[in-house]
Amino acid sequence: MPGGRRCPDCDSTELVEDSHYSQSQLVCSDCGCVITEGVLTTTFADEGHLREVTYSQSTGENEQVSRSQQRGLRRVRDLCRVLQLPSTFEDTAVAYYQQAYRHSGIRAARLQKKEVLVGCCVLITCRQHNWPLTMGTICTLIYADLDVFSGTYMQIVKLLGLDVPSLCLADLVKTYCSSFRLFQASPSVPAKYVEDKEKMLSRTLQLVELANETWLVTGRHPLPVITAATFLAWQSLQPSGRLTCSLARFCKLANVDLPYPATSRLQELLAVLLQMAEQLAWLQILKLNKRSVVKHIGDLLQHRHTLVRKAFRDGTAEMEACEREVQGQRQGEEEVGDSSLDLPVRKRPASPALLLPPCMLKPPKQLRPTPPVCTVTGDENISDSEIEQYLRTPEEVRDFQRAQAAGQAAKSLPNP
Amino acid sequence: MDQNNSLPPYAQGLASPQGAMTPGIPIFSPMMPYGTGLTPQPIQSTNSLSILEEQRQQQQQQQQQQQQQQQAAAAAAQQSASQQAPPGAAGQTPQLFHSQTLTTAPLPGTTPLYPSPMTPMTPITPATPASESSGIVPQLQNIVSTVNLGCKLDLKTIALRARNAEYNPKRFAAVIMRIREPRTTALIFSSGKMVCTGAKSEEQSRLAARKYARVVQKLGFPAKFLDFKIQNMVGSCDVKFPIRLEGLVLTHQQFSSYEPELFPGLIYRMIKPRIVLLIFVSGKVVLTGAKVRAEIYEAFENIYPILKGFRKTT
Repeated sequence: MPGGRRCPDCDSTELVEDSHYSQSQLVCSDCGCVITEGVLTTTFADEGHLREVTYSQSTGENEQVSRSQQRGLRRVRDLCRVLQLPSTFEDTAVAYYQQAYRHSGIRAARLQKKEVLVGCCVLITCRQHNWPLTMGTICTLIYADLDVFSGTYMQIVKLLGLDVPSLCLADLVKTYCSSFRLFQASPSVPAKYVEDKEKMLSRTLQLVELANETWLVTGRHPLPVITAATFLAWQSLQPSGRLTCSLARFCKLANVDLPYPATSRLQELLAVLLQMAEQLAWLQILKLNKRSVVKHIGDLLQHRHTLVRKAFRDGTAEMEACEREVQGQRQGEEEVGDSSLDLPVRKRPASPALLLPPCMLKPPKQLRPTPPVCTVTGDENISDSEIEQYLRTPEEVRDFQRAQAAGQAAKSLPNP
Repeated sequence: MDQNNSLPPYAQGLASPQGAMTPGIPIFSPMMPYGTGLTPQPIQSTNSLSILEEQRQQQQQQQQQQQQQQQAAAAAAQQSASQQAPPGAAGQTPQLFHSQTLTTAPLPGTTPLYPSPMTPMTPITPATPASESSGIVPQLQNIVSTVNLGCKLDLKTIALRARNAEYNPKRFAAVIMRIREPRTTALIFSSGKMVCTGAKSEEQSRLAARKYARVVQKLGFPAKFLDFKIQNMVGSCDVKFPIRLEGLVLTHQQFSSYEPELFPGLIYRMIKPRIVLLIFVSGKVVLTGAKVRAEIYEAFENIYPILKGFRKTT
């Protein structure tokens, strides 16, 4: 009688709603086969609905755990799956979350903090296994602000007493570069822009290493440096067609967001390369600028260790004194070099620049003149007149009160 | 799952890193870890004579091994003695650090019967070569102190009758008062407690707190000056050479926290004395968390050899 159902045994349509004591059943009237059964008890019975009972449900383990903690643990597992992390990471992250939850400060924290805690646990796990995951990625995945995330992250690292290693730059370069959509031709990527992945990766790695050596990475967010390095690597592999492409356009082509500091990192990196180019004999005559140096990045990277040593000197104060004599020696060497190469008279290359982080190369700020050091004992007499200057006269008080009252009245007036 | 490109700023590929590659190959050669086994062991600077006794004993033990170093330290002590004299203004709580202005420093060339109290200032570790003082003195930038005025206050009256006060109860439950000399700011609460910030020395902070108390007195409240206490001191200085923060965090992992994605500086939590240092790549160091001036100086003398170890020498 119920529409459309057939008995699985005898294939008849004669199905009858019959109840066996308190359990309602759907029975085939021809062969007596029981098609479905109602629920025997009023509570949810998994076996009756042919669903397997999960371990966590059949044991009492979740009864000890609060619902918000359960929710958090579920989110940790989901986040690990979204990021396609190995299964061992999941267990570690879950363990960290449980460990954090044992502290009363975390248990009593707002929901927002507990959500962010999920991201923190996953990030710590990835860092400890040298899996390159940036905080930016985690924040976008858990829809959190970086400042909220940073507060919770610092707190939890301190609370659990964890040793979190630094972000592994080499792995980050590999992962980040692989995300650039430049390795296959597509409607948005013309053929001349397509590049071989391995070549680009190796060159980017060398450029990032160079940036690290010349103080461009310390203290800065790593990602913009890698973006700038990838761009330069890509340009230098086929300069003829690619010099016209700007950094912004490159990122749009590659379908990657352009981080804001990347442009200034690019300029810094080019400045370093120009300094190095001045030490290469066959590049000195070319009078390179920031655009033309890109064509020679291959050469510069090949000899980068020697060039950095020659192009820069140690930027410390006590080296200044002996620097004079070293410069004299070096200039002597250059003169010898000149005559042997028989080059036309040209401007002598600038004396080696200081190898310092960019923040130390900027001209020093004009410090506010420090007030004269007056010996204060703390127990001096305080004159009445000095204190009087901070008190309102009775007329001022009256005026102020009147002004305040007028202000209140104006505020309370309904807008016309 | 190729969701890489839908992620906004600073997001990078979610695909697994090339599994075959060995993770964590450092692409920069880390600096030689400085002074293996160097654990800063500064002596706690308090007034108690028993501590002096302890140090004397410790010194005598080492004296057998490091006779020369002590003489050199004594010479250096004289140097730093002359440097420390200006900041050692009267009225400060006498610290071990300043006690040397009262004692006569031993003449160079003579072995002191017991070492001068100055030598504890330099870290006494076998790794430091003839402990030279850095010659740099951290400048105090901010002092935070609290005092109890001892009576309940009516903040509305104070805000009404004082020129230099601002009071916005919806934003913050205290009056913010400022005076010009010394240039400081005070938070005055209705319970009578007050926080004074912005002074550049302990005495200035005390003077400023007294001036605020006098203002409150003149406004008609029976203000007293109870339990004046310095809660925090902040100092800063410049070592004048760049520092490899990545190397420092590798060798001093238990104390340092360096997250370039969050903050450009390295946060170094020194255990003894309990001071937090912010170390930047430019060589500038900010020290905070001190209750007394000597802790700042001690912390800097402890960190200076560590930082020197990370100076790149070509």
